[in-house]
Amino acid sequence: MDSIALGRYIPGTTLIHRLDPRIKILSMLFLLIAIFIPAGFYGYLVITIVSLLALSLAKLRIGFVFKALRPIMIMMIMLMVINVLVVKTGYVIITFLGFEIYSGAIYQTLYIFIRLVLMIVITTILTATTKPLELTLGIEDLLAPFVRFKVPAHEIAMMISIAIRFIPTLIEETQRIMKAQASRGVDLKEGKFKEKIAAILSLIVPLFVSSFQRAEDLANAMEARGYVPDAKRTRYKQLHVDTKDRIILLFVILILVGLIKIAIFI
Amino acid sequence: MPISFKEVSYTYSPKTPFAYEALKGVNVNFTEGKITAIIGSTGSGKTTLVQHLNALLLPSAGEIEVLDRKIKANIPVKDLKSLRKMVGLVFQFPEYQLFEETILKDVCFGPLNFGIEPQEAIKISKEMLRLVGLDESYDERSPLELSGGQKRKVAIAGILAINPQILVLDEPVAGLDPQSSKAMMKLFVELNRRYNKTILIVTHNMEHVLAYSDDVVVVDQGSVIRHVTKDEFFMDDDILNELKIAPPAIINVKAMLKAKGIELKGHHLDLESLTDAIVKEIW
Ligand SMILES: Nc1ncnc2c1ncn2[C@@H]1O[C@H](COP(=O)(O)OP(=O)(O)OP(=O)(O)O)[C@@H](O)[C@H]1O
Ligand SMILES: [Mg+2]
Repeated sequence: MDSIALGRYIPGTTLIHRLDPRIKILSMLFLLIAIFIPAGFYGYLVITIVSLLALSLAKLRIGFVFKALRPIMIMMIMLMVINVLVVKTGYVIITFLGFEIYSGAIYQTLYIFIRLVLMIVITTILTATTKPLELTLGIEDLLAPFVRFKVPAHEIAMMISIAIRFIPTLIEETQRIMKAQASRGVDLKEGKFKEKIAAILSLIVPLFVSSFQRAEDLANAMEARGYVPDAKRTRYKQLHVDTKDRIILLFVILILVGLIKIAIFI
Repeated sequence: MPISFKEVSYTYSPKTPFAYEALKGVNVNFTEGKITAIIGSTGSGKTTLVQHLNALLLPSAGEIEVLDRKIKANIPVKDLKSLRKMVGLVFQFPEYQLFEETILKDVCFGPLNFGIEPQEAIKISKEMLRLVGLDESYDERSPLELSGGQKRKVAIAGILAINPQILVLDEPVAGLDPQSSKAMMKLFVELNRRYNKTILIVTHNMEHVLAYSDDVVVVDQGSVIRHVTKDEFFMDDDILNELKIAPPAIINVKAMLKAKGIELKGHHLDLESLTDAIVKEIW
């Protein structure tokens, strides 16, 4: 559990850490869009270089990124297998166990792989360098224009920040209950099927009970302090955009535009 | 057979920016068949220490011996289940582990996991529920609708029902009313005296240490800094001062008498012998 890297914040004071969260979220969105622009090999090269640059600016180790990638490796492998078996364009490269593998399948798979990796790397840079709370402030602000279309921006942000806030608590709670049940002879690894079901139940039930309890306590505590979801609220933490934020955003927009140009020409 | 820690260190979240060394080269040898109180300030590492005893945590370095079993750093423990049958551990907040439909079923959960026959498990469980002070009317109730203290009693019964040779209790009576906590502590003493169980109790309550323990182990900033008998512990003003521990009332009374010029001879750690000594001194 300690080794979860996906979505984890790594404290720091680098340029990337200090960027305005709204700018970071927008930049991430633009780069994610850029990934889906069919600008061929050079397009991906550009995005890869930008990502590596951001990684080194944020002083994140490559190892950390690989760790973040690990949980979704299985999904990627599945995707690749399906692709290789299904796509039948281009010419046959090899025949493997009676399956004909086409060149198109290889290309397609590579594209998917590169896209997925880049997407995860870019989102990891965002989440690793932005405090969860800042992230939600950013999301709230970016959603603010949609409030007039009845998008509950503040409520969404509050829900996200509560959810984020309680992830570590839930992990801790799970570990504690696992230990408590292990002391009572629960063995999640061994045992017959029926015993395993009982073992999982002994974990899930207390987890649910305490989560509901906690949700109720939190709701009461919020109400006791006068929280009203749709009331207008002031903020302790003020976000502001300065020169470095503008430069970064401009840079990212230029890349996006450049890639669109490339895509149009090829 | 020993229950010992040799140079045991434990680091939470190793190799991350959040790494925290909670135990630093702990050496301690718990005496079998005794009641040992483990004390120390909040965050000193008591919980971390006791969770090594049934291999819930494995040492990052060093070696632990529990009865005939050895637990070493970086070596997976074989046959965890039999170790956990021998060492019963009651958690700091055990009320979170209840999950069955009825209290009786919940207490039976442990014994059944350790392969005890259902009939026998029910018999032991009922016995243990009576011991912790919950009568028959509780057997068929849901554990989730109990008060915090009652839940704790059920959780303690759940570990007692496993009948472990070593009983480790992490602040078992915190939050219980005075009567229940006294009854509970007496129950632990009874288990020790009658069935010769080794008992380790983590506690912040000096009155309990004085009244119910044989030995005292002091944990400070991840190290065991003292392991003495109860008498030595409370007779030594230096230890009490150094650890900034507010001594139990009896010790305070003695200090006050001393300040007034009444010096008592010998050890007096319970009310009776203290009154006798005072009577002797004054008459
Ligand atoms: N899961 C964890 N991850 C990281 N650090 C932890 C974890 N659990 C405990 N610690 C740290 O290890 C140290 C010792 O914790 P421990 O729970 O053993 O203290 P304790 O002596 O039992 O305290 P208390 O009297 O409050 O129960 C604390 O400083 C705590 O912050
Ligand atoms: Mg503790």
